[in-house]
This record gives sequence, C-alpha cells and structure tokens, in this order.
Amino acid sequence: MNDDVKRDEATARAGDVADQSGKSSVGETVRPGEDNVVTDQAAVAIEEPRLQYQSPFTVVDALPPGYTKKPAGEPERKIISFTIDGAEVRAPEGIMLVDAAKYGGVEIPVFCYEPKLGAPVGACRMCLVEIEGIPKLQTACSTPVRDGMAVITKSPRVIEAQNGVVEFILLNHPLDCPVCDKGGECPLQDISYGWGSGKSRTTEPKRHFEKPVALSDGIAIDRERCILCYRCVRFSQEVSEDYQLVLLDRGAGAHVGTFDGSQYIAPFSGNVIELCPVGALTSRAYRFRARPWDIEQGGSVCTLCPAQCNVSYTVRDDKVMRTLARDNNAVDDGWLCDKGRFAYQAWESEARITTPLVRQGDKLLPARWDHALDVAAAALKKSGERTAALAGGATTNEEAWLLRRLMLEGLNSPHIDSRRGGKLSLDVARTLTQPALTVSVPDIEWADAVLVLDSEPVDDMPILDLRLRKGVRRNGMKLAIATPRPSSLDANTALVARYAPGYAGAFAQAVQAELDGSGDVDDYAARAGADAADVRAVAALLKGAERPVILWSERMLYTTAGAAPAQALCNIADRLGVGEREGAGLMQIPIQANGRGLREVGFLPNIGPGLTDGQPGRTGMSSDEIAAALGSDISALITVNVDPIVEYPNGRTWAAALAKAPTVIAFSTWLDPATALHADVVFPAEVGPEKEGTVTHPDGRIQRLRQTVERAGEVNAGWWVVGELAKRLGLDLGVKIANQATAQIAAGVPIYEGITTTEIGGTGVRWQERGAASNLPAPDATTFLLEAPPAAPQPNGRLRLGDFKSLWSGGEVVNAATLRALASGPRRVELSPVDGHRLGVASGDTVTLKTESGELSALVALRDAVPAGAAFLMTDERDGNEALRAALAGAPELIEVVK
Amino acid sequence: MSLLTDNLYEAGDDVAVVQRAPEPGGATGFYRAFGETLRGLKTTLGRFVEGPVTIQYPEEKTPVYPRFRGRHKLHKFEDTDLEKCVGCSLCAAACPADCIRVVAADNDPDNPTSAGERYAAVYEINLARCIFCGYCEVACPFDAITLGHDYELSDYNRSDLIFTKDMLLAEPIERTPLRREGE
Repeated sequence: MNDDVKRDEATARAGDVADQSGKSSVGETVRPGEDNVVTDQAAVAIEEPRLQYQSPFTVVDALPPGYTKKPAGEPERKIISFTIDGAEVRAPEGIMLVDAAKYGGVEIPVFCYEPKLGAPVGACRMCLVEIEGIPKLQTACSTPVRDGMAVITKSPRVIEAQNGVVEFILLNHPLDCPVCDKGGECPLQDISYGWGSGKSRTTEPKRHFEKPVALSDGIAIDRERCILCYRCVRFSQEVSEDYQLVLLDRGAGAHVGTFDGSQYIAPFSGNVIELCPVGALTSRAYRFRARPWDIEQGGSVCTLCPAQCNVSYTVRDDKVMRTLARDNNAVDDGWLCDKGRFAYQAWESEARITTPLVRQGDKLLPARWDHALDVAAAALKKSGERTAALAGGATTNEEAWLLRRLMLEGLNSPHIDSRRGGKLSLDVARTLTQPALTVSVPDIEWADAVLVLDSEPVDDMPILDLRLRKGVRRNGMKLAIATPRPSSLDANTALVARYAPGYAGAFAQAVQAELDGSGDVDDYAARAGADAADVRAVAALLKGAERPVILWSERMLYTTAGAAPAQALCNIADRLGVGEREGAGLMQIPIQANGRGLREVGFLPNIGPGLTDGQPGRTGMSSDEIAAALGSDISALITVNVDPIVEYPNGRTWAAALAKAPTVIAFSTWLDPATALHADVVFPAEVGPEKEGTVTHPDGRIQRLRQTVERAGEVNAGWWVVGELAKRLGLDLGVKIANQATAQIAAGVPIYEGITTTEIGGTGVRWQERGAASNLPAPDATTFLLEAPPAAPQPNGRLRLGDFKSLWSGGEVVNAATLRALASGPRRVELSPVDGHRLGVASGDTVTLKTESGELSALVALRDAVPAGAAFLMTDERDGNEALRAALAGAPELIEVVK
Repeated sequence: MSLLTDNLYEAGDDVAVVQRAPEPGGATGFYRAFGETLRGLKTTLGRFVEGPVTIQYPEEKTPVYPRFRGRHKLHKFEDTDLEKCVGCSLCAAACPADCIRVVAADNDPDNPTSAGERYAAVYEINLARCIFCGYCEVACPFDAITLGHDYELSDYNRSDLIFTKDMLLAEPIERTPLRREGE
C-alpha cells in the first residue's frame, strides 16, 4: 500500500535530483553503433514502441532512501563509465559490479551479497560474470567497477556457469517449497527460475538434518534448506557484533548454529530472518500464517522507543501477522530490533485494554464510550483550571497538540508537561534545538569522533547501537563512551570513561573545563567520580576531530544539578565550534519515544509551540510541581501513554500524589499501576499499526504513522477522544479526521510551518532542512557561566547506586509470546567482583539493599566491567512494586548491600 | 408451366392459367386430409415402442464424462489416513476467481493432520464464485485437490455455498454416475 507511494516518491525525488544537477539522465545508455541519427521517417514510424521504464537505480547520484543530502563525512565518488553487455553505462567508481550493473538496467543474480552487511564475501558464486582481459569468470559482487571495464553477463560461458551454480546450490536443497514459509518470496525460487537450467541431474539422496530446529524463541532454523551464503553469520559477526552465529563443521555437514548449541538471543537477532535468501531461517511466530499473495504490507513507524524505526506491517484478515523493517537509511539503515519486530503479538493479548473503563467503587468496569466520555468531561468541567495533563510514550504530535488546546482553550489550564522533572529553561531548550547544533542520523555514521554521554544506546535507542558499530567498523569513527554503567559498546571504543551514577553533568563540566579552562579539571573530575585522565582524553578526542558528535541522554537533565548539565553541553558545543561545522553536533536521546515531538508542539508548561515564548503570565506547573499540588491545587490529572508511578524517577511521590487526586483520566494500553490503582476513567489507547498521525525523531525528522489495521475492540482514535471531551466542554477542536490535526500543527507550530503528510511522505522530512526552520526563535544566550558542579558522595563502605532499564521491559515485551522469556526476570543488582568479594556474595545470591527510606531484595549479578564502589539496580518493573519505590524514594545516591 | 412452354398463348396475352386438381373421391380424400399426420404418427409411435429417453431428474442423475469438472474433493492418503493437503496455498494463488481461502497451521508431530510440516487449518472454497476451471487441481503439488463429478450445487443461502474442509474431504452422499464408453 504505502510502499507503492514510497516508490513513486523515491522515483520522483531521484528525477528531481537529476534535474537539479543539470546532468543528462544517465539511465539512457548509449549503444555503440546505434547512435546514428535516424533520417528515414518511415523507419521511425514502423519501429515498435519501447517500454520506457526508468529505474531509480539508473540515476548515478541517487541517494539512499531517506537521505536528502550526502552526509558531510562521506567521501565523494568519481563517476566513471564502463561497458556492460555492449552498452556504455556511467556509475560511481569503486562500487561493486552488481550495483554498477543496475545503472545499466542489468540484473546480476546474487544470494550472499548484501551491501548492508559490509564487505562482500563472494560465498555463493551466483554473480559470476565475464570481464574482458581477465581469463576466468569473476564474482560481480566483490569486483569493484573501474573506468573502461567491459563486462559481459549474458555470454554462453556465463550462462553455463550460472546454471551450474544453481544446480550446485540445489544439490542439497530439499525443494520443499509447498511447506516452506519462504515460498512465494524466496530469492532462491526466483533465481532458479531466472537463471537456472530448469533440470536436475541429481539422483543421489540429499543431505538430511533434523528440522525445524528452534534457534531461539523467535527463529526456527531448517538446515537442509540453507545454502551457506553466510549472511546471517556476517550479520551476527559484523553488524550486530554479538558473535553468536557461526558456521559449524565442514563440507556437506556444514551448518549454521551457535557454537555451543545454546539459543541465539540478541537484541537484533530477528534481522537474520529477513536476511536469509532461502527458507532456512524463518520466524516462528509467522510460521505458516500466510503466503505473500494472502497479505498486504502497510508502512508505518514503530513508536516503542525514540529510534522510531520505519516498519512495514504484514496484514492478513485485518490482523498484523509480522513486522518487517522498511528501508530508510536516514533512520534505521534497514534494521529492526526484536522488540519492534515481535511486539505486535502483545497488541492482540488479553492484557490489553480495549474498552473504556470507569471506576465504580474500587473496581474498573467496562463502560460505553458515551458514559465514559460523560464521566470524564463532567470531572474536567468541575476541576476546570485545576486540571493537569502529562503525555509521554508514543503520543503523537497531533494528540499532544489537541490535548494542549483542550487544556489551554477548553479548561484554561497551562499545567501540561511531557518531561519528568522541573522546567526546562527556554534558552537551553532553544540552544540545543538550533538546526546547526543538531546532527542527523547519517551524520553520526560519518562523524570522526562520537561521545556517548550517560546513555546505553542498546537500551535507550537500540538501532543507534548498530549505527555506532557501523561507524566504528567501516568509517573509522572514534567512539568514546562516558557512562556510569558498563556499556555493550565498550569493546568498540577508542576510550571509555566512568563516573559516579547521576553525575554526567559534572563530567560534562569537567570536559568543558578541559576545553576552555573554565575550572579545575582534576577537581571537577573528582566531583564527578571520574578519572581526570579520562576527561582529558575525551576532551582531546572531541577537540581533535573534524566532525565531533555528542549523543546525550535526556536522563542527564533529571538530577540534582538541574539545568547545569544541559548548559555545560551548550558550552562544549560552543567551544568545539560544532555550529559552523557540517556533520558535527549534538543529539539528545529522549526517554520517551516521541519526546522531541511532544516538546516541539509545545506540550510544556513554560514553552509554546516550536519553542516560542510561553503565554505571558501563564506559566504552568512542571510534572514535579503537579505531583506536589495534586489533591490541593490540582484536582484532576490526565495521563496520556504515561505511567508516572513506574516511569518517573520519583515514583513513590507520584503514587502518594495520585492517591490524593480526586480524578485521574488515563489513556493507556496496559493496566499499569497508575492506571489500575488510581484512574477513574480509562480510555483505551491505540497501538502502532492502528495509529494515524506524526511523530518527531530525535534528529528532527517528522515521520508519519499510518493506520494499517482496524482498531482492536472498541478502541477509538486518540484525537477523536480528545475532540469528544472538548465537545462536551463546549469547545470545537475542528478535527474530523487525523489529517486536520496535522494541518493545525502546520499552522500553529512555527518550525513545522506548512508541513503536509504529502511532504512527509514515506521516509519523513527533517524540519531543520525546511525553510520554516528559520522560525525557531534565537536564544538570548548560547553559552552559560556555570558554578562548580556538585560532588558525588563518597561511598564510605556503602555503594553508589545507579539504575538501569533493560530494552526488554514494558507491556509489549511481557505480553508477546516470543519476547516473554526475555523480559527481565527477577530484579537484579549488578556489582563489581571486587565488591562482591568484599561483601562475600557471588552471582545468583540474594542480597538485601538498604537505603534511608527502605529496603528490598535483589539477585546479585557480578560483572567484571562494573567499577568498584558502584551498584546498578534494575528498575524496569511495571508491577508496581512498593518495596522498590520505597527504597528509591528521595533518589538515594548511596546504598548498603547486606548479604 | 408446360402450357407456357408449349406456346399455346403468346407471351404478353391477357390470360390467367388455372390448374385444378381432379375432383376428390372417398379414399383419396381421406388420405389427402390425414396422410401427413399419419406419417408423423408413425415416427411418434415408433419412438413410443422404444421406451422413454428422458432422464427422470432428480430421481435419476445425468451421467457425466470422466473429465467433467464439478465440485472439488480433498483427498487423504489411503494407508495413513493423513490429509494430502499441506496448506501451501498454491491453489489459492492459482485461482482466477479468488474463491479459495487457506489458513495453514503448524502440524503436531505427535498427532499429525497432514503428512507435511504444516496442514490446512482452514480450507474453504466459495462455490458461488468458483468457475470450475481446474487450475487449483493443476497447481496442487500433492494431488490433494481434484475436481469431482458433483454438479448439484444449488442452495438456498449464499453462505451455504462456502464449502469447508470437512465438506470437501467427505465422500459425496450420492455418487454422480459416469457415462459409459461410447455413450
């Protein structure tokens, strides 16, 4: 459905590029001997009309999907010309012949070649071609094209070789296409038809393996069908770098598996299903669900984390059957994490809320929409100005925009927030949003130095992890990781810096001090609990780089240091001069999937849409203030896709505050603690494939969600519910379809001015690259004078407490059959072996953790890389654990571990 | 005509030639009145003796040729009693009328339904849509579906024309007779 649109747009864009550059279309190939001017009119008349199909590949300077310009660091490629099957074709120098041939409209069959996997290996031999001057046939996938090369792909020699290779590949292939899940979308089927001889001479028995074997909960492997192309092994070894899949044994016995036969469990394991060119690796969840002719593909965007990967939902009988990655190199590079891939199962689970619920006594009971809306509207009418609203998670820009209007215009209340602490200062927000200071995702890949500050990419924004690995492995990126907890990227880094949990701001100030001498580096490093040598090394790395990039977590803003960490980042950006450098800059990794979009449409108490000034004299309360005022100055709270008890750091405060709130109205997918215990009215929220609207990627790319299946049960669109509530409060929001809300945003948010869903298209558009970006108000100050940062407390026998949240958390994980086993089991605390030895505990022991406010028990996990003196507690439970919240009340920095 | 050719009268003369039959007698008259009718009756009476050729449908069924394409049948292996169909959906892909719906499922190895890894959990043919082209039979890699000889497919309700797997697997209640050699 959407893919067609996408393709059209890609073609149109490719055409535009060619027009703008003033080059002749390179697709029209010049055939020697055919270039005579036709003089005979009659000959023209009888010539058969040729189909003019312009493949997007035939434009030499076409950009990958999603790209609007070449990343600054990517080297230029010379355009050369070579001959393929007698036609002269122009192509960028050095690309592989397989790709170069496409510029001439020639298809060379491949199995193992996949540019996303990096350097070609030439394992399958399917791409053999003849090159003039080279006596033997060459693999087109691993031969770079050179100027003047003459390539023949259709000579009898090549055809014989292709037939031979297909015959060899089919030698042990079971040909069980009728029962194979890949049937109908199988490259091996296509290539056997297109390039095989159509006959088999084999009479010997074929190789047999036990089949199908579960490689993991998500993947089944059928080793008989495997053609040993190495794609999955290369993905595991060179892209996700989990080093689990290997090729075992030799000769006819060779097969793919994990070395010790254990399950293949990795955050990106599902990608091998899509990579497999035969039916050897198949999705167990999709097993036998549908055939390619039974299904429709619907393109949308995954909103489970800020990475906002582009996905394509496979739909049969109005049900999502599987999720595939949709190539958008500017966002996800064509990969998808397992959470995004298998979360669709959760949306059909019993646990999901699919009807409106209204509290009666201490029970939430299903209600009719009219009744639920009436109850909610009556409560809102009563509380009026004393209403507050929180939004988070996958809330779209449209929902946030309409809810903001409902609050400001319908209830006259400015108390709206999408952050989880105090207010963000306008200057800092504007400085960090400056287009010149923001990097795009492709820029990260080509940056020569990247600092990851206070974030574990694989948990916070998984697909970024692959991008960083790619940059390090292929583009010579130097990576610095500065986190309190050991990161999975540590092995790829040029340097690793550790500091006390929660003191990223002090670390940033120390780096700033090293860059501009604004303070004593040794003192600041000590305050951050970091090694001064690490700070100096980080500063030197950033200073020495041509295109430095800093990826920092929004979490940095929610510490006792207030705005200082963000201000330090502004200062560092200024000292490094990233504003003037192409391809250099900062990127915030938000905590919530559409965090950036919510803030940019103005879902903040003190900042208007597009970071304009808030209404004069009408500054609302931030989420912290709302929590404090709930029950007194605030009498009704609306939560949209957010559960403050579980998600916000001060969960216990929120639990107490919500208990005092007369009215809580929740838009929720799951019965999370705040919803289950405190909500008076619950509106069922839409999930990914049911949603229509736009979201904003952390790099400013506005992307479009498109509805692909009917909403489950009685679920209604979020914008509709907000509109109905407004109607009952006497306000007409003027929204009858989702697009009208988008149009309101285009008119009301200056930096998104004039944006349409057509312009957003299938791959999104970065607002920084549009003319309307100049509507961003200039900050009064871009650098800030900072005081010395607060010092991290000395442990004195106790341990510094840090927390972490695994990727495998949330309703989408525990309710999806494939992911359930990964859901982070019993609560664990990570300790260094040094502390483990000192305390006399080993991995798997249960210990008691004591803080000033409470205690709780956890399983010990000793990790070599954890710095001595620190303990990291997993906090991603959604079951409303009272002991955990009590222990963490008041954000304790030190913790005592007792055996 | 002979009068004209005999030149008794000149052409162009104002003469009308009238031919008259001889005056009718007894037997000749009767013959002339009923002769043709009797000839017809002879044929009729002759067939009367031969006996009836009409087929007394629905008490009696019209036999069909062996390659007649009627209602579909799904088959089982005779020895193992497993379904031949593995739910590959190739019939659905080949169907020009889009009247076949297959939903496959994982075969339980301990209690298999079909002989393969998968089986058809749902197999439906909408006979109101089917054009009896036989492409499904051609497409089937396991000879699991064939077009049978049943042609009595009318019903009172459209939804009753959607034949489920059980209906397609079951033997028809009454067999449709085949035409004999040379018939």
